[in-house]
Amino acid sequence: MEHLHDDVIRKVDDGDVRFIRLWFCDIAGTLKSIAISPSDLEVAFTEGIGIDGSTIEGLTRSYESDMILRPDPATFELLAWRGRSNATARMMCDVLTPDGEPAAADPRRVLRDALGRAEEKGLELFAHPEIEFYLFAEPYQRGQQLMPADNAGYFDHVHRGQGQDFRRIAIQHLEAMNIQVEFSHHENGPGQNEIDLRYADALTTADNIVTLRTVVKEVALSMGQVATFMPKPMIDQPGSGMHTHLSLFQGGKNAFHEPGAEFGLSRVGRQFIAGLLRHAPEYSAVTNQWVNSYKRLWGAQEAPSYICWGHNNRSALVRVPFHKPTKGTSSRVEFRGLDSSANPYLAFAVLLAAGMAGIDGEYELPEGAEDAVWGLTERERRAMGIEPLPTDLFRALESFESSELMASTLGEQVFEFFLRDKRNEWHRYREQVTDYELASTFSRV
Amino acid sequence: MPEPSTSTGALARLGFSRSERVRRFLAEPALSELGDRAPSALGATADGDDALLGLLRVAEAAQEAGLTAEMTEFLRGIGAPGSSGQRLITLLGTSVAMGDFLTRHPERLSALRTGDDQLTMTAHEVRATLLRAVGADPAAPTPVAGDGGRAARDHLRIAYHERLLQIAAADVRAPSPTDLQPRVSEALSDLADAALAAGAAIARAAVPGQERVRWAVIAMGKTGARELNFISDVDVMHVVAPAEEPGSEHSEGDTTDGDETARAEEDGLVAIGSALARELARACSDRTSEGTLWQVDANLRPEGKDGPLVRTMDSYRSYYTQWAESWEFQALLKARWAVGDGQLGQAFEEMIAPWVWKASTREGFVEDSRAMRRRVVAHIPRGEADRNIKLGPGGLRDVEFTVQLLQMVHGRTDEDLQARSTLEALARLGEGGYISRVHVAEMDSAYRFLRCVEHRMQLHRLRRTQVLPTSAVDVRRLARTLGMTPEQFTTRYQRTRRRVRQLHEEIFYRPLLVTSSRLSDGQITLSPQAAKDRLAAIGYRDGTRALSHISSLTEGISRRAAIQRQLLPAMLEWFADGIDPDLGLLQFRRLSDAIGSAHWYLGLLRDSGRAAKRLTRVLAGSRFVGEQLEQIPEGVRWLARDELLRPLARDVLGREFLAVITRVDDVDVARDVLRRTRNRELLRISLAHLSGLVGPIEVARALTDLAEAVLEAGMLVACHVVARERSVVDSGAATLDGAEEVDVGTASRLRERRSDPARALGIEMAIIGLGSFGAREMGYSSDVDVQFLVLDRGAGARAGEIGIAVATQIQRILNAPAAGTNLKVNADLRPEGRAGLLARSLEAWCDYYRRDAQTWEKQALLRARPVVASEAVSARLREEMDRHRYPAGGLDDSRRREITRMKARVESERLPRGADPSRHLKLGRGGMTDVEWSVQITTLDRAHDHPALRTTSTMDALRAAGEAELIPQRSACELREAWTLAWQIRRSLFLWKGREGEVLPSDRNELRALARLIDGDEGTAIELEERYLRVTRRARAVAEQIIFEADD
Repeated sequence: MEHLHDDVIRKVDDGDVRFIRLWFCDIAGTLKSIAISPSDLEVAFTEGIGIDGSTIEGLTRSYESDMILRPDPATFELLAWRGRSNATARMMCDVLTPDGEPAAADPRRVLRDALGRAEEKGLELFAHPEIEFYLFAEPYQRGQQLMPADNAGYFDHVHRGQGQDFRRIAIQHLEAMNIQVEFSHHENGPGQNEIDLRYADALTTADNIVTLRTVVKEVALSMGQVATFMPKPMIDQPGSGMHTHLSLFQGGKNAFHEPGAEFGLSRVGRQFIAGLLRHAPEYSAVTNQWVNSYKRLWGAQEAPSYICWGHNNRSALVRVPFHKPTKGTSSRVEFRGLDSSANPYLAFAVLLAAGMAGIDGEYELPEGAEDAVWGLTERERRAMGIEPLPTDLFRALESFESSELMASTLGEQVFEFFLRDKRNEWHRYREQVTDYELASTFSRV
Repeated sequence: MPEPSTSTGALARLGFSRSERVRRFLAEPALSELGDRAPSALGATADGDDALLGLLRVAEAAQEAGLTAEMTEFLRGIGAPGSSGQRLITLLGTSVAMGDFLTRHPERLSALRTGDDQLTMTAHEVRATLLRAVGADPAAPTPVAGDGGRAARDHLRIAYHERLLQIAAADVRAPSPTDLQPRVSEALSDLADAALAAGAAIARAAVPGQERVRWAVIAMGKTGARELNFISDVDVMHVVAPAEEPGSEHSEGDTTDGDETARAEEDGLVAIGSALARELARACSDRTSEGTLWQVDANLRPEGKDGPLVRTMDSYRSYYTQWAESWEFQALLKARWAVGDGQLGQAFEEMIAPWVWKASTREGFVEDSRAMRRRVVAHIPRGEADRNIKLGPGGLRDVEFTVQLLQMVHGRTDEDLQARSTLEALARLGEGGYISRVHVAEMDSAYRFLRCVEHRMQLHRLRRTQVLPTSAVDVRRLARTLGMTPEQFTTRYQRTRRRVRQLHEEIFYRPLLVTSSRLSDGQITLSPQAAKDRLAAIGYRDGTRALSHISSLTEGISRRAAIQRQLLPAMLEWFADGIDPDLGLLQFRRLSDAIGSAHWYLGLLRDSGRAAKRLTRVLAGSRFVGEQLEQIPEGVRWLARDELLRPLARDVLGREFLAVITRVDDVDVARDVLRRTRNRELLRISLAHLSGLVGPIEVARALTDLAEAVLEAGMLVACHVVARERSVVDSGAATLDGAEEVDVGTASRLRERRSDPARALGIEMAIIGLGSFGAREMGYSSDVDVQFLVLDRGAGARAGEIGIAVATQIQRILNAPAAGTNLKVNADLRPEGRAGLLARSLEAWCDYYRRDAQTWEKQALLRARPVVASEAVSARLREEMDRHRYPAGGLDDSRRREITRMKARVESERLPRGADPSRHLKLGRGGMTDVEWSVQITTLDRAHDHPALRTTSTMDALRAAGEAELIPQRSACELREAWTLAWQIRRSLFLWKGREGEVLPSDRNELRALARLIDGDEGTAIELEERYLRVTRRARAVAEQIIFEADD
């Protein structure tokens, strides 16, 4: 660790860095940041920086507010949009209790623990997310129609398109921060874009997702637009998902890959998928954490509303994509349930735990579904043993609450807080009188 | 041919044991060249019989191989000092295995002709010999064997054992084996290095694509430190790198695949490297017709058995910077490049050097080294411990542990200490002034002696043994190889072990006592910083204060200081093993200030290691005990004997209290006596609890018994006081006086006599216990919940008023505020609560429960039992209570609803404002109340047809409900787990802090202390917190089911 510390201190000296932002997340995945000056850096590494954790929801119990941030020197990057001179840098942080133990409520700790448990079995999780989001001309204001930034569709090239420019700048910024972009294009909805990040280990990927959300929002603002990762901002347009390709590596080899097996998928791979499927109702409160998330999940248009897997099935929750037969390293499963607003640390942790439960318990993989599950009748689905995902946050929380797997993965404290917080959200939502009700009921009765 | 002039008797005198056979052997033609002096020379070896048999076999084999001339030279020399023949038989008398080898390969006798008794052959020469043996060119940058098959392996084994012959011969012939010992170990390590090099050459010949890989083998453990045994696993790690510059080819594929290409390249590298490493291991460890060398053990590598066998430098770096635990750095202390690519090997050594020496500042270092100490002791099979030369107390591991710990502690700031081998490090610790020269010399000689013994044991059959033999023959041989008689050997061995154990204490702890001044001869003085480093390394958080306690305890010329100087080194370690070493030391100092001059106290600590050890543990784990011991020093005495520590039984307690209340003329005196006696017994219970002598259930029972005895005594005193006030007895009358000794015989008489005042008052008192008191599940500071009843025995209409006076007096006597531990007799659960009469008549009491009592009051009766009452009254009370608490037909709907609503209200109202429900031990989610209500509802509902439920104990009723499947077994288990854990946490909090708490602490120190009090030495804060939250979450789910969702 020492030499990494020294590296950072040197980079700060060399790079005319004025501020270093220490980043961490609350339970919802919202980025929190405090800035320190270069002179505090050494203390930050050795002792950590104390913060008042009570201001951050879910991070502490109210009567125990002192928390320590300890920056992870491997995550040091300059914030590209802040320019090169008088630069600002960022590091992701682990949150510790005053006596140096990992804070139970730090989402990064949750993922680290989950990765650690897999690591004990020699397995390492890699992820490759495809992050969708919308650009709008204006921020949302009550009572006003949302104005997408453009009107293009899937893969459309937008002339004079600010979208194109937008993505170019965003990607430049990301790559300047050492976040490799695999692919980017215009998505189906007006103003909807997608940026795919290069494969990386799960912790780095989660850091990268959090960073990307910030970069995207910053760039949008700089261009007079607004970006949102809300799962389903417009009723008649596609939602923003975050399809994520997952693979496990064992000793540098892809553990999902087995030459000659069906779809090149190893036993471990099949068990992992079986785990993802069996525990889907339990973790969906985490992978789809907002009331709004379920409007995407149940809003048709390829949304994975049913718990099944398929090879080339664009409506399945888990898809096993084609892979190049020569490349053992690229076997992976695509999990299509996530949306862009999830807390990536918690989401990866629960997905990994579900998959690992499949491996440990040697779950049998049910038969794959190659039909569009949406097209089937209720009875057909039942005959095939295909269950739906929870239809709303309330049901998702019911499954979540009775899940030992979730409690042990998140830790009792995060589990408890999450449950309480999300129940509150549901209660507030249920109190609402919506436009729909007014429009449909007001004059009728 | 000379006639063997030796009779069997003479042979026996020469040292042979099977003389008849010896005579026969000596007459064998193959040995005809033996001279006159041969029999006595053979008899003088460690095992003459073995030596002769070995010699005969070798001679016959030599004859068969046509090597008669060579053999003759050996045979003729036997008996002549310094001859090759002497070399041969000395070896054969020690090692059967070496004889076997020579019988198979008589041509290798040549190695012993001149031998290498000074072990001067260089590592370089040994390596060259072994490489040539497998057909590899020693001068090549990357030697490759002639072939990778069986032949090369056989050649390797033969060449290896040929050199081993010389080393073994040098060892057994050394005039002083302990002097030569380090040199022998080095020679063995050189040989192991050479064998690894030859093994690597064989591996390279066997693995296709090997030229693409640069490969270095890092020796670890004993091999790394160059202190190897004759036979032991050879610990290694493997580093690989690509042979060509990366990226010079592989240009096909699109750019996005750059990463994958790199990964594929590394895959290939790792695959080839792993194959090489596996082949190397096989080349050394496979058993061929030529036997085997040893296991190549790569388990010290990152991730142990599950990790990849080989790694690149980057991969090691990222592992050690991110994942490694502190013991892994300790293992790196011995890492040394042994074989293969030198550049790579040196780069590796350079990379790890800085990490090793910072390990002692890493989090978890203290815990790890503590755990290591515990493991070492715990893992040896019982009965073998004293004979286990490596792991037993005072064995080699203890020496190594002492040296390494000091190296890690002081090596961070003192680079001179950075040596790999134990003896080298020991010497440098001496030079640096961390260990006194006397101790260095002692430790050094102990270590060499133990290593020699180990070598000689292994040499016999080349087996990896660590346990001293038991048979007389084996012990004799072992002793004789070291030039001793068996008795001498046993004495020296035991003395060495004892000494090593003391030395750890003296070397590590003793210098902490003399940091400031007053050095006696041969002692060293540590700088304050070095002393603090040492204290920190074993878990003291505030070194400065610890040092000041130490000096206050040991300074001066008093007897106390003198004895404490003796005791403290060991006690410092025991405190360090305890929960809070700083607290322990502080409380010990206080105790010592308070009672340290008492003769018995110091004598006890000096003479009873067990008492001293227990004292350190309880002082480091309990503030309550520390404070109480200052008041009640005799408690220290109990620690020496289990039978004194065990809580007193109920009837014994009763007698104790009867005995102490003889003088009650004065309420204050009585009060004081009762309180002191109670505190004494409370201390006894908590000491038993902390020492693990009694479990939670027994503690709860003992606390309840104690409360009963106090209450009974209090009542007798109260009656007496009231009787005197009302002049129904003579004031000053010796009503309560009685026998000096209260034993089983006199107790009942005395009790009877002391009831006289009540009789004189014309009443009989009865007391019902409720709550945890009634359930016999009390904690250290639980209230004593009671109801008072008064029966008319002649007082007539005044009975009620007198009863109230007595009850009031009882509370006045027992509830007086006391330091630390209050007893509180609480009668709030009586009919009509605080507004009701303090004592009722039996009839009024019955009427109340039949007419007015609310459902919750009947529920409270579930834990009610007559505590003080005559048989007849008890029976009457039980009968009356049963009709309310076990109602025929169970719980009707309206009652059930009432209870459910009550519970819901209690949950929202009684929990203190701002308390986190998930952490409140009593009223919180899944806490004790949830469990108790679940059990109570079940009992109210079903006890009428399930008599097993009719008990006041929550846990007993819960067990019965589980067995009867009234609550599913699994759910019952979950309830029990939650209740028991909450109980334990509350009681442990009391012991730890000196007062009971209701909330699971969030302070990590407190949690850690609780964890260790509850779970023993392995308990951790995180685990305890998670477990509590988990079991209570589950218990809550069960409780909700039972309380709120019962089938409608």
